[in-house]
Amino acid sequence: MTPPDSLPAAAGFDDAGFDELVGSLDRWSGSLSEWPPARRVRAEWDGVAGRLDRARRELSRVLVVGVVGGTGTGKSTLVNALAGRDVSPAGDVARPTTVAPVVVVARDVDCSWLDLAGIGARVVTSDAPAVANIVLVDCPDPDTQGDDAAPAAGRPSDSNRNRDLLERILPACDVLLLVATAQKYRSWSVAREVAAYAPGRPLIFVQTHASRDADIRDDWRRELERQGIEAPVIHRLDGLEAFRRAAAGLEPEAGFLALVRSIDEELVGRAARRVRRTGALDLAGWFLRQAQGQLEPLRQPVADLASGVESERRRLEGLMSRAVETKLRVSRPAWQRVLEDELVERWHGGPFSMFLHATAALGALWPRLRPGGFVGRVLAGQGIAPPASGDGAWQSIEEVGLSEADVEQSRSVLVGLAARAGVGEPLVGRTRLDAAAVQSSVATLLERTGRWLAAGIDRLVSERRDRSESRVARLVCEVAFAAMIVAVLGRAAWNFFHGHLWLGQGTSGGGFLQEALVWIVLWGLVLRWLVFSRIRAGLARDVTRLVDRLPGARLVDPLVADFAAAAERTAAFVAEADRLDARLAALAARVDEGRSSLGRLARRGP
Amino acid sequence: MDSRDPPPDDASLHAAWSGRVGELCDLAERLLPLAMELGVDPPPPDDAAGPIDGGDWRGQLFGKLRPQAGGEPVLVAAVCGGTNTGKSLITNVLAGAEISRSLPEAARTRRPVASLPRALGGRVDLAALFPGFTPVPWADEEDALGGAEGDDVVVWREDPGGRQPARLILVDTPDVDGTLRGNWQRAEAIRNACDVIVAVLTQQKYNDAAVRDFFAAAAAAGKTLVVVFNMVDWPAQRGRIGGWLATFVAETGAAPLAVYAVPHDFARAAAATIEFHPLPELVGGAPAAGPVDLAAELAGADFDRIKVRAMRGAFRVVVDPQAGMGAWLDRIEAASRGWQDSRRLLAEEARVRVELPAAPGDLVWNEIWNWLEPRRSRIDVGLSRVYRAASGGMAWLGRRAGLLRSAEDRRDEFAAEELRALKAGLADFIDRLDGAARRDPRLAAVLGPTLVAGDRAAWYAELERRHAALPMISDDYRTFVRTELDRFSSENPNVLRVVLTGLSVGSVARPCITVGLLVAGAAAVPAAAAAGHGISTLVHTSFDYVVWAAAPLVGEGVLGLTVAGIRPLVERLFAGWSAERSRVLTGTLHDVVLGDRLEVVERRAAAGSREEVARARRLLLDGARELDA
Repeated sequence: MTPPDSLPAAAGFDDAGFDELVGSLDRWSGSLSEWPPARRVRAEWDGVAGRLDRARRELSRVLVVGVVGGTGTGKSTLVNALAGRDVSPAGDVARPTTVAPVVVVARDVDCSWLDLAGIGARVVTSDAPAVANIVLVDCPDPDTQGDDAAPAAGRPSDSNRNRDLLERILPACDVLLLVATAQKYRSWSVAREVAAYAPGRPLIFVQTHASRDADIRDDWRRELERQGIEAPVIHRLDGLEAFRRAAAGLEPEAGFLALVRSIDEELVGRAARRVRRTGALDLAGWFLRQAQGQLEPLRQPVADLASGVESERRRLEGLMSRAVETKLRVSRPAWQRVLEDELVERWHGGPFSMFLHATAALGALWPRLRPGGFVGRVLAGQGIAPPASGDGAWQSIEEVGLSEADVEQSRSVLVGLAARAGVGEPLVGRTRLDAAAVQSSVATLLERTGRWLAAGIDRLVSERRDRSESRVARLVCEVAFAAMIVAVLGRAAWNFFHGHLWLGQGTSGGGFLQEALVWIVLWGLVLRWLVFSRIRAGLARDVTRLVDRLPGARLVDPLVADFAAAAERTAAFVAEADRLDARLAALAARVDEGRSSLGRLARRGP
Repeated sequence: MDSRDPPPDDASLHAAWSGRVGELCDLAERLLPLAMELGVDPPPPDDAAGPIDGGDWRGQLFGKLRPQAGGEPVLVAAVCGGTNTGKSLITNVLAGAEISRSLPEAARTRRPVASLPRALGGRVDLAALFPGFTPVPWADEEDALGGAEGDDVVVWREDPGGRQPARLILVDTPDVDGTLRGNWQRAEAIRNACDVIVAVLTQQKYNDAAVRDFFAAAAAAGKTLVVVFNMVDWPAQRGRIGGWLATFVAETGAAPLAVYAVPHDFARAAAATIEFHPLPELVGGAPAAGPVDLAAELAGADFDRIKVRAMRGAFRVVVDPQAGMGAWLDRIEAASRGWQDSRRLLAEEARVRVELPAAPGDLVWNEIWNWLEPRRSRIDVGLSRVYRAASGGMAWLGRRAGLLRSAEDRRDEFAAEELRALKAGLADFIDRLDGAARRDPRLAAVLGPTLVAGDRAAWYAELERRHAALPMISDDYRTFVRTELDRFSSENPNVLRVVLTGLSVGSVARPCITVGLLVAGAAAVPAAAAAGHGISTLVHTSFDYVVWAAAPLVGEGVLGLTVAGIRPLVERLFAGWSAERSRVLTGTLHDVVLGDRLEVVERRAAAGSREEVARARRLLLDGARELDA
């Protein structure tokens, strides 16, 4: 039999794109194994990865059709009818009938790749056209094995392992052929197995016992819809009658003929490729839906964790800004010294410059006060000492307004938010940092803060210098100072030449020099005061501006770095699921599936 | 029928039971919420909203023994089986009227339908007979089909033909194996309430696990089973029925009273004239000739014997040591022991040491001075005023010079430091709760929702709010100081004189105290200081933390160092102050963080030793002894 060409082999299927998507799914699902929800996604992936891989590798291999249904629904009778001979024991002698699965294959079909020993299957060959291009498996029933939760009561059925066996066979099946009767189409135990194995597997539905039971197909379809399964076609036939006719070589009855035609058109040759491809697409879609189902309740908590990190960071930065600002404001002498040193260093060559250098040199003789605290040391341009270990580490950041209690408060809040998002160790640490973590994060914080503060102070100082240092001002100062020297010396010269030599008045000895020196120094100090007050003006405002920039500098990050990283990684994981979903949807949109009579799990739930 | 059963006239037996049954029900009802809390009883599954769950002892106790132990002895016969096996058809035939619509689609009967003999409707309380169901009078045969999921209604109708035996109630039940789990549950509730079960089996379903389990539970509860094999290819399959029945009996442990076969026949089914072929040879009788009237056979059964047997069977399920109420009590006790371990873990883990900063001594001392003021001599007071003014002046100078800070500054700083310490204590406490929940799944279940879903930032905000609202010296504390001092002075009148003497020394030295305030040492303070300050017996502050005795070197210190007996008093006063401050933390923990969680742990840990458990055990023991006698 050759499949008719009317059905496309899943035209538009982008094999390379799908391979890429599978690769992405694999990488993504394994990318955050420290996060339990991601681990669950990975476990889900491990369940489908093998099947997706096989579907791609075995694109043109014949399909394995598993015949599934409750006991007594006539699975074996149907298999016998399809096989054209008595291959599987059927009948009403004792329930359950089929214990070991029977695999029906055509003589020329190689089924060595099926793990027949693993499922304890018996293989029979058949020449019947209906099974010429498929592998048919008569499966055990799921409804005679008791619930494992029930205590064993020494009943004969305690040894019944039919459902376990079924669950070993079904993973090998590509297509499920569901057989039901009027008594069994609403069976809960069958529905449970179908729900577990329908993802990525096309379904064929058959109502048997047509000669005895009423037609329940409409109600069955409704029931399937309720379970989230689409069933475009449900076949209805009488297995016994079909088998009798097949054995006698008679023309098959219409229902059976329709089933055989359906198998031939939808499962054989190019159609098999199509089934595998759409099945793989469906399976990937199902996996992503499951993954989204896992992640959905965590979206909000993950976002909350991120915003919690942000607000705790702001809180700590606020504390830090206030403390640093206070410290900077009260360190007036240190500021003055920095500003002076800066100015003095740049003014050379004039008498006033010489005067400034001289006062600075004299000032240097004055014993400098040891700069106090962290901010004082930074202001004084001194290096930052690494924090002491243990409690000393906390004390060293208390100077910048942060205490152990504040940090623990933030971390405690974040531990709660993280727990809500399923994030725990090792992705994040605990509320109380251990000694090593305290040491290292405090060191990083101090180092960063020192660098940031030093840069800020340098910038502030240079801004003020640029503002105050105009050539005119300098010239004015130099001229004014020089004028005073000239004036004082001129007066002395006048007194000497005019008064002493010319008018003959007595000299005042060296006294005039002392007088001159006093005036010059006084004048110099006045000028110096004017210059420096100009530089100092508006310092407080500038300090506020400097500190306002602190929150952007991410100085407190080391204290909550684990939470920030966890928030980012989990958010990225969740966002990646949406991206992959969109990619899958784009791939699926390009595939023209044609019309199919096969049932399947609805793409978007019931 | 079981030959071990006593003669049916033993009616006094279940009259004696009815008291015991009532008390057992009462005890079970009182313990049930606790058992659910302890996880002994799984919460009912979402898809199975039903009256009373399971075929277990509770189903028998509440569904059978309680409603039937006292009232008029009626016999309830229920027709049960899998989907689409013809239960409704058989019920209709037995009732002699179409009370329940029989349809080709499966699982259509969602509500049980009861057919009552004439005039019984007014006498019997159906709501009590079928606990959990609401009785609704029959309107038409579609009644059985309707009803939303979770609607627990039993439809009833009095037999229109008048054929039904006077004490027999016939019930058509929903299926026991379909995809609607609510149907299973309703069927189980009816099964528990009935005495006789007409088990409708078919060739396809007699060995399905769900069907087996349903009837096995019925057999275990002493129900009388009548087996009907429906849709048999008659007579072709007649020879097979023996094998099917043997399997069914071996699987369920049932001993059917009788077995019938109903041939598959569309025409007769449509006309509701199906034939019941008795197969007495399968239950040890002589082969019968032809079809019989099953309704008549049922009517002829020995009602009293069946009834007593059903009641005894139900009671046997309740007293069964492996699966009965006793086992349930065992599980409650075991679970309770687990909670005792959790309680121990919590007590060990959740203990935090908060080291509060040294209290500003002047606060407490001011209170002491205020108490002493009226008891001092005039000269003393005058002198004291002079020095107080001098001290104020010196303090002002000191502050100007930057050597001293103002009292306000110190208090602000103290408050900030104290808040920090309290916050650190809260963080530590939460961390320890997290740790305890990690180590113990039971604690995780109780504390988890609080720890995970709670808004921790709000907890800290609440702590801050309470701290800010707390005055430095509260009225409570003033009262506490006065009571302590009054008590002390009445107990030690001589010492008080010493205090007064000491004060004149103290008042001279007083100007120096603001400078010399230093930590003198740590002292363990007796819990008496906390009298009346506990918030709950569960969150308790044991006040064993270090209270820095802020005694100055001179001035007040002179008192503390020189006068024996005063020092413990002063320490207690300081401790009382710190205790009151720390109430901010314990209060936040109790009111905001923990809520009722500790009470929950406590209640669960104590569950096993409740008197209900012991009483129920005694009743069960007595009942079992009587049953065996």
